[in-house]
Order: sequence, then C-alpha cells, then structure tokens
Amino acid sequence: MRIELKDIHKHYGPVKANDGISFTVAPGRIHGILGENGAGKSTLMKVLVGFSQKTSGLILLDGKPVDYKNPARAAELGIGMLYQDPLDFPLLTVIENFMLGQTGGFSWPQKVFHKQFAGLARAFNFSLDPDTSLKILTIGERQQLELLRLLALGIEVLILDEPTTGISSLQKATLFAALKKLASEGKSVILVSHKLEDVQVLCDKVTVLRQGKVTGEMTPPFQADGLLEMMFGTPPAQPDRQHLTPGADVLVMTDVSGSGGRTGLKDCDVVIRQGEIVALAGLEGSGQGVFLRIAGGLKLATSGCIRLQGCDMTHRDHHMFQRQGVTFLPADRLEEGLIPGLSITEHFALLADRKGPVVKWHQARQAAAEHIKAFRVKGRPDSEVQDLSGGNQQRLLLSFLPSAPVLLLLENPTRGLDVDSINWVWQHLQAYCHRHTGIVFSSSELDEILMVADRVLVFFNGRIIMDVEASRTDVQELGRAIAGNVAVGAA
Amino acid sequence: MGKIFFWGLAIACFLATAVFTAPGPGLAAEKPFTFGLLLVGPYNDHGWSQAHFDGGKYVEEKVPGTKMIYIDKVNPADRAGVTIPQLVDDMVEKGAKLIIANSDDMKDGTREAALQHPEVHFVHISGDGVLTGKAPKNLSNLMGRMEYGKMMAGFVAAMTTKTGKIGYLGPLINEETRRLSASAFLGARYAWEKVLKKNARDLKFQVTWIGFWFNIPGVTADPTQVVQNFFNTGYDVVISGIDTTEAVVVARQKKKQGKNIWAIPYDYLGACQGAPDVCLGVPYFNWGPGYVKFIKAAMSGNWKSEWDWLGPDWKDINNPDTSTVGFAPGPALSVSANKALDAFIRDLGNGKINLFKGPLNYQDGKPFLKAGQTASDQQIWYMEQLLEGMSGQSSAK
Amino acid sequence: MPTYLRQTRQVAITLFAVFFFTSLILLISGAPPLSAYYHILRGSLGSWNKISHVIKGWIPLTLCGCGLLFTFRIGLWNIGVEGQVMMGAVFSTALLRLGLQSQSPGLFLAMSLAAGVLGGAAWAVIAGFLKTKGDVNEIFAGLGLNFVAQGIILWLIFGPWRRPGVASMSGTETFPVALWLPKLSSLRLSPPALVIVIVALIATGLLLRYTRIGLNLKAIGNNPNAAFLFGLKPGRYMIVAMVFAGGFAGLAGSLQVSGVYHRLLPAISSNYGYLALLVVMLCNYNIWLVPLVAFFFACLNVGSIQLPMVLQLDSSLAGVIQGALVLAILGVYAWRQQNRRAQSAESIGHRA
Repeated sequence: MRIELKDIHKHYGPVKANDGISFTVAPGRIHGILGENGAGKSTLMKVLVGFSQKTSGLILLDGKPVDYKNPARAAELGIGMLYQDPLDFPLLTVIENFMLGQTGGFSWPQKVFHKQFAGLARAFNFSLDPDTSLKILTIGERQQLELLRLLALGIEVLILDEPTTGISSLQKATLFAALKKLASEGKSVILVSHKLEDVQVLCDKVTVLRQGKVTGEMTPPFQADGLLEMMFGTPPAQPDRQHLTPGADVLVMTDVSGSGGRTGLKDCDVVIRQGEIVALAGLEGSGQGVFLRIAGGLKLATSGCIRLQGCDMTHRDHHMFQRQGVTFLPADRLEEGLIPGLSITEHFALLADRKGPVVKWHQARQAAAEHIKAFRVKGRPDSEVQDLSGGNQQRLLLSFLPSAPVLLLLENPTRGLDVDSINWVWQHLQAYCHRHTGIVFSSSELDEILMVADRVLVFFNGRIIMDVEASRTDVQELGRAIAGNVAVGAA
Repeated sequence: MGKIFFWGLAIACFLATAVFTAPGPGLAAEKPFTFGLLLVGPYNDHGWSQAHFDGGKYVEEKVPGTKMIYIDKVNPADRAGVTIPQLVDDMVEKGAKLIIANSDDMKDGTREAALQHPEVHFVHISGDGVLTGKAPKNLSNLMGRMEYGKMMAGFVAAMTTKTGKIGYLGPLINEETRRLSASAFLGARYAWEKVLKKNARDLKFQVTWIGFWFNIPGVTADPTQVVQNFFNTGYDVVISGIDTTEAVVVARQKKKQGKNIWAIPYDYLGACQGAPDVCLGVPYFNWGPGYVKFIKAAMSGNWKSEWDWLGPDWKDINNPDTSTVGFAPGPALSVSANKALDAFIRDLGNGKINLFKGPLNYQDGKPFLKAGQTASDQQIWYMEQLLEGMSGQSSAK
Repeated sequence: MPTYLRQTRQVAITLFAVFFFTSLILLISGAPPLSAYYHILRGSLGSWNKISHVIKGWIPLTLCGCGLLFTFRIGLWNIGVEGQVMMGAVFSTALLRLGLQSQSPGLFLAMSLAAGVLGGAAWAVIAGFLKTKGDVNEIFAGLGLNFVAQGIILWLIFGPWRRPGVASMSGTETFPVALWLPKLSSLRLSPPALVIVIVALIATGLLLRYTRIGLNLKAIGNNPNAAFLFGLKPGRYMIVAMVFAGGFAGLAGSLQVSGVYHRLLPAISSNYGYLALLVVMLCNYNIWLVPLVAFFFACLNVGSIQLPMVLQLDSSLAGVIQGALVLAILGVYAWRQQNRRAQSAESIGHRA
C-alpha cells in the first residue's frame, strides 16, 4: 500500500512539533525516518497511527485521502505500529496475546489460531512457543509476537518505533530479515530511529527530520556525513567568545560507574576545572544524564571516587553537594526543576534563607519581581510556573542559580528554546565563568556545543569515548563520534 | 472560589429552609400522650428488642390516647457517633413525655438525659439506678424476673439432653447475665437430679460469652460460631442468652444435617416460629403490663421513682395482660418433658420449690447461700459469680 | 463563557446531581423525598438543642479535617486517621484513669488532651516511618494500623480497663463528672471543645499559609523531585505532616472521650476520620470550606435519625443518602476535571 503524507502539521499550543512534513512511502519499500530526540518523529508516528490528531495536512492511502481518529480505525485501514515497548499483556500466554483483537465472538476455536500462528512464525523464522507465558519473554521475542499479531490483523503499512533498542544482535538480524521479507511481499515499512547504522543497512530511502521539519531525504548509498548534517544542522560561524584559561580542579571523577538510564555510566574519568565550560555530547541517553546526576550527588555511583575541590564526596547526598556549591538544573523543567502549582513568588520563598518559622512573603515577592525583570521572564510574581512558556520556565530556572556556585550542572539547558533565548542563556551563563564556576552541560545540538564549550566529552553507550578541545574538532568529527566511530587518536 | 461559593450557597439554602420550616406552636386539640422507645437492636429482631416493640404496641392498644415513637439499632456499631441524650432530645422534641431505654448499655446515657429533662419520665430497663440511688426522681427501673423463665429453660434442656451437655450462649458478663445463666443451671440441675434421678456430676453446663448482646462483627465473638462449636463438641441443647436468634438458626441447620440437637431461644414469644423441629420452648418477656403501669402513672401524675422487678403471674404465666415473664413450650418438646415442666411450674408457683436456697456455692467454692438460707432479691440481683458446677467465666479474665 | 457564569452552572449542576441521586434513592426505598429532606433539615437545625448536637459532631470532623489538610498538602493519603482518633482516645482515657483519685481533675483533663494529641501523633508517625523508611504505601499502613488500634481498644475494654465484675464490649466505666469537659447544660455543648476547634482551624490556616512548614509541604506535595533540588527533604516533611494530622485526629479522639462519651467505647472514633477524608476531598483541600462542609455532614448525621423515627425508614438509608451525596459531588467534580483536562490536553500531551 502506498502511503503519502502531505504537509502534516501538529501544533501543541505555540509549539510546532510537526511543521509541514511531506513524504511518500511506496509499496514494498522500507522507509527510514531519522532525527534526534525532539525532532518530531514520535509526534509524526502518533499522528500516523491515529493516537493524536493532526492540526492540518493530508494522509493518502493509495491516493485516497483518509481520516481516522484512533488506532483501531487505523488498523482497519491497514496501518499498524510496533511500539518500542510492545503493548501486550504479561499475564497471558503468547497465543492468547496473539488472539487479542482478532476474535469477533467467543466461539472462535483456538486451533485455528494455533495453526495461523505456527504458519506465520515459520514464515518469518521466529521460534516462539505459543503456550509460554509472556512474562518470561525478552523484549525481542515480544516484538516478534507483536509483529505476527499485526500481520494477522492484515496490516499493510507497518511502522516501527526504535525497534532495535534493547534487543540482541541476533534478534536484530532476524527482525531485519523479516522486515525485508515483508517489503518483498509489497508491504510498506516505516522505520523510525535515531540510529544511523540501522537506517543505513535497512532502508531504501531516508527522510531526516529536525525541529519538526524535513531537512532532507537520501537514497542509498547513504553518506553518514550528509545524514548527520541534516540531523544536527550546519556548523555556525566562528563562536564569538573569549575562552578563559581553566583554573584549579573543581570536580574529579575517578573510575566512576553508575546505573540508570538506558546505558548507565561506565568507568568514567573526568576532571572539570574552574571557569571551564564542558559540553556533554552523544545520542540521548548515552550516559550524559547519569553523569550529571552522579556529579551532582543525585545518584550514587556504584563504584569509583568523586572529589569536589579536594573533598571526598563519594557517598554524599545532593544536599551535601549543594552545600559545597554544586547546582543542578534538570532538563525536565516541570518534572524536576519547577514545582507546578506554586507561583514564582513561592519558588523564591523556598529559595530564601531558611531562618525562622515564618515565610517572609514580602521579601519573596520582591525577589520574584526583581528576578522577573532581570531575567526577562514573561510572567507575574503570582503566576504559577506551569502557566509559563518553556522559554520563560527556563529563564526562571536560571534566575534561581546562586550568584557564585562552584559547579553548575545543566541538563539540556536550551532544549526547546528559540535562537534568541539560547543566545541570552549563554550570555548569562558565560558570566559565571569569570567567577571561577565550572559549567558542565549536555546538549543534542552540535552547533551549540561548538559555539559555547571549551571542551567536549562525547558519550557512547555509557562511556566517554572522546574528550576534546572544542576548538580542535568539528561537527563531522563529533557526529561520527556520537555514532560510535572515533578517529584514531581522538580519545 | 467556586467551591466556596457553592458550599456557601448550599448551606445558606439549607439554613434558610430550616428557619422557614421550623415548627410553629401548632397544638392539636387532643394531643396524645407520646412515649418513646429506644431499642438497642432492630425492632424486628425476633428477640429482646422486638419484645419491647410489641410491648409498646400493647400499650398503644390498651391505653387510649397513647402514641409510640421509637428508634431502633441504638448502639455504637449501628449508629456511630449518636448518643442517648441526643436521641432523647429528638424524642422529647417530638413530644415524648416518657422514654423507655431498653438496654443495660444505655444506663449512663439515660441518666444523663434524665437529668437534662426533669419534666420527662424515664424507664431504664434492666438497670439498677434506683437501687443504687444514682437515679434522679424522674427515672425508674423495670425488669422481669426472667430467673424463672431461665429455670424453666434449664429444666427442659436437662429433660431433653441425651449427652448431658448443655451449652449456654451468653452475651456479655454482668450481674444480670450471671444470675440468668445461674438460674438456667439451677433449673437444669433440678431436672437432672430430682426428676431424672441422675448424678449431678454427669451434667455438664457450659457458659460461653460473646461480649455483647448481639453480634457486632469484628468486636464480639461470632455467636453463630459459638453455637456451631457447642453442637460440634457433643452439646445437644443450647440455651440462648443473647438478644438475637443465632442459636435456633444454627440448630435448624444442624438438624437438617441429621444431628439430634435442640435449642432454646430467648426474649420473644415468637422466637420458636419457623423452627418447630428444634425449639424446646422460649422464656420470654411480656413488657406490656409493666409498660402500662408506668405510663398510666406518668399520665395520671402519680409517678414515683421505682425499681420494679416483675414476676410471672403464677395463675397463668402466659397471660399477656398480667404476666411479665412467660415460658412458651416449643413444638420439639416431648410430651413427657412437657408434663414434668407443668409440674415444675406449679411447684415454683406455689413455693414448693425454691431453687435459690442454700447450700449454694459460687464457682470458686465460696459460699453463696448457707444451708437452708433462701436468697433475697438483692442477693440474686447482685450475684458475684457463676455457681459451683457451671463451667465458663464468672467475670472478665 | 465568563467565569462567574461557568461557576454558577457548576453549582447548579452539582446541586441538581445531589438532589437527583438522593431523591432517586428515597423514591426507590418508598419514601417521599420532600418530606424526608424536610425532616432531615428540621432534625438537624430545628432547635438550638439540635444545632448543638450537630456541633458536637462537627467538632471531631473539623479537627480531623484540619489534620488531613497537612497530609493531603504533601500528597499523602492518611487513611490511618481513623486509628489516630482511636489512639488519641486511648491515650486520653489512660490519663483520665490516672486522674480518677486526683484532687485536681482540671489538671488531668488538660493533660488528657495533650496525651490525646501525643497518642494520635505517635500512631501517625508509625505510618509515616513505614512510608518513608519501609516504602510501605501509607494507605495500606494506615488501614492496618486502624485495625490494630481497634484491636487495642477492644482488648483494653475487655481486659485491663473492664468495669469491675463486667465483661462487656459496651465500654469502660463512665468517668466521674469532675473529669468531664465542662459543658453548658442548656446547650449540651462543651465550650472548651468549641474553642479548641476554632483555635485549631485558625492555627491550621496560619501554619499552611504563613509558615515555612506550610510552604514546604505544598512544594513537596506538588513535586517532590524538584522540592528535593530546592534543598527540602521530602521524607522528613512527610513525618511532620503525619505528626500534625495524627495530633489533630488524636485531639478529636480525646474530645470524644472527655467531652462526649466520658468513657472509652469500641466505636469511639465513630468513623469521623473516614468521614473527614471525604469532607476534605470535597472541599478540594481548601481550609475555609472544611468547617462548612463538615457542618453539612454533621447535619446529615444528626438529622437523618428522623428518617427511622418519623418516616419509619430503615435507618441505614441515611448512610446511603450520604453516599449518594458524595457520589454526586465527586461525579460532577470528575466531570469538571475532565473538561479542564480536555481543554489543556493538547499542551499536556506535548509535555508528556
């Protein structure tokens, strides 16, 4: 089945998650959708499978415009999606899960399903026992089951969301073979991923998204440089900032490992110095988040040693780190950074000195008003923070920073901000360097990293595989490192 | 703000209607004499509370110009947070001139209410406030001499039992329940020794207490289980001392399963209904005559604070107009036992038999009555322990 | 739509739903709804006596409600409030028993109030520690502790604190009048209890609004992660909130003993704790509504006794009506929330 997307828009309030996306997938083709986190891939898939409604645009199936409001209707039309974490029922057996959504009445004999299931599984070389409980299956096996179920439902357009996350390489090979077989049978496959290597080996065509827009398409042979440039943008003009000579060591991590996130953090040796801005690059979830949380005492390292200005902080909690002058700004502003339901004034009241049992509302209001002005936050002291826009929330968070911290840990500090705001944020942050503050931040924007950082640490699979002066590298090299290809001698 | 507004409005409406609908002094030409009944259990419990309810109905029927109002289930489990003085306030407001509180449990609440309403008369059933001098002038006590009824119950139980094991399903432990279970024991022992000529040592009389007048799940022991336990361990007659009918209900079930067992309910004349195959009879209260006496006294202005312990009318213990305590033989009672019972009742009535006559010892061997001594009312009323020969707790552990 | 119009509509719908449901239930049970409402109304507010009975129920409801505001503020479901009332009553009774022979009953009365606060707070802290240290959900811990508290009361009444010669579940011996909280005989009300509640209400309002504790509880309740980054320790404040909740609940239990029943009985808590949970939820955690809604529920409690007395309705109907009322209000509330969610679904969806 041929599926065409024409000028798909999906807006969430002022945010344009999809901003005019068009492409076509021919029958029998495997089409890749590539982009960094936040590029708009997930939104697009949700629209495609009927989970959310597009703001405007057209979807055509075999040339006919279709409109559907939910995944069930999409499935009837032949569009099905294999989720990253398959939506199945762990308490049922394989065959029961397979039957879900297929039974019209109550009397359909199980035998028919057993036969159908066995046939499909054999065709795709999946070795699944229909009577085992789903609980003991690996993600890869559950994926196979879900795939069979979708096929049994008569899916013609198959969408896969990051299917290679969390499965073994053998399962990956089996999956890829199955997808190629499906394509050869005339089905359309849409593969959503941020992994270059998957897209490169599998796809007949790739569409790259960035910030809600299509930034390019490519057919084989794929050039990694070209794809990366489409994903991350072109390097900007020469960064205009004076780089300070780094001072004394602030944070020393020796052989630190930690768990959490997708990959954890493995054997990390890092030194952060006064007045230095260090960027953490890498695909989302490659260990940057864990690194920042361990460095801020929000997560305990499973091994290794952390020293802060010479003090051993290895098993201390975040509040000890705070007392030592470490400040952490999380990426998720409303989940971790701000407190929804509290006004700006109340946030400043929380920050104010903790003497006496009574809240000094007058002072807090004053502080709020002053910071609102100084940080150009569009809001009033009594505005509740969830009512502010993302950019204003970020400004507000920055306004909470103490005047002379020892170490600033910033997780994606500019995500979702427009260019103006980004520039403003960095002007503000760079001022801290003159006060001997060490700054560590993570970002998915290579332009930004090259523009503001003194040093770049590239994470891949939980390891730092590259530690380089920002002035001695470029987008291409960083892009390759992010994908796991490190040039000799760079690390 | 919306919420405040809403609730403000709702409550304002509520108050406004209350004010507008407040009762005016609308006096009827012939105002009936209203009396209130506070029932500890449901009015239709086939037991203690229903006997009182029927007593109230009797008054309405026999004393012209009276009207009954009642509130049932007056106990902390069914009406959490409700107090006796509060209910009395409600009844007085409804015009009640005399209020009958039918539970020992209401003792303190009734006295408190009586002090708050000196113009209203109170009858506290089963209490001893007048005896102890704690009761104000407008409070009287009324009780039936159920000891006789219990003796008859014990008598037929002993006449019927094949195993010689009689179970007594006791409510809570206090003076009243001690003397009633002791009476049943005395009746049983009399039948066993004097009528059946058996050895007293072969008669087992076990009292098991549940902790309240009726089952409160989670608070009391479950009477159904207690009765089952009796029947399962060789007891073939169970005498109920509680307000409700579990003993008969369980006996019927066991009978259907083929067990040869009997039960004796309590309190209410109709308690044997529906259980013809197991019910040996029921000792019951007939509150009508007692109620009539107090209500007439209150109506005529001749009220006196009294402690009344009304007995059976020995001419006919089942006369609804004269006998406060009765015993209705049940369908399962054998003809011979029935005959023996008639003789027993006759001898109780003419004074030939007095079971509260020494020598009688308390359970621990301490003398209760010396040889030849007959007990006074006060001695019976305030029995300290169960009697020698009974098993079961005499007081709380 | 202007705000006031929308609010008026909401009020109208809620009221309609309430009366619709209760009328339906009354009709099903064969009672004329209008006359039932009339009797409930008159039975609760028809005279000063009745109003004072209403206030007697309002006192523990409001006290528990005050306490629950603290725990709801920090996002805890303090179901254990019922057991906290009971333990307050137990501690209070213990103190009053000590004062039986004393020459200065006033002192022991005062100490019994303090003991009640202590008992409730201690019981709440157990649930708090189970939550913060043992990671036991406070709902389960609370329910379990409620059972334990009930068990303790039954054991005390049947065992160590039984009346001499008596083994009855009906309660302990009544205290001498000297150990009763003074009351106005004409009004059946205990002025000290009333003063205590009003002070508690004002104190709660001030604490939540003007002190650091109130602010911190709110911050942690709304976002514990962020609050932690702001330097607050959520676990510690959960204990603080539990102490307040338990303290107020314990005080309510204490007043039930010294001001209402003058003894300990198995049903001493009278479900006021559970009812207070409902009150606070219906108030949408707004303190100034708590006394109003609590008053409304107390009216229902007192007035509904008229149904069996006058209309010969089964007395459990009052509970059903109360349930219908709650259901109606919650239903309208949920519907409103859903509307609000639908309005902002798009932007929230994006964040998620």
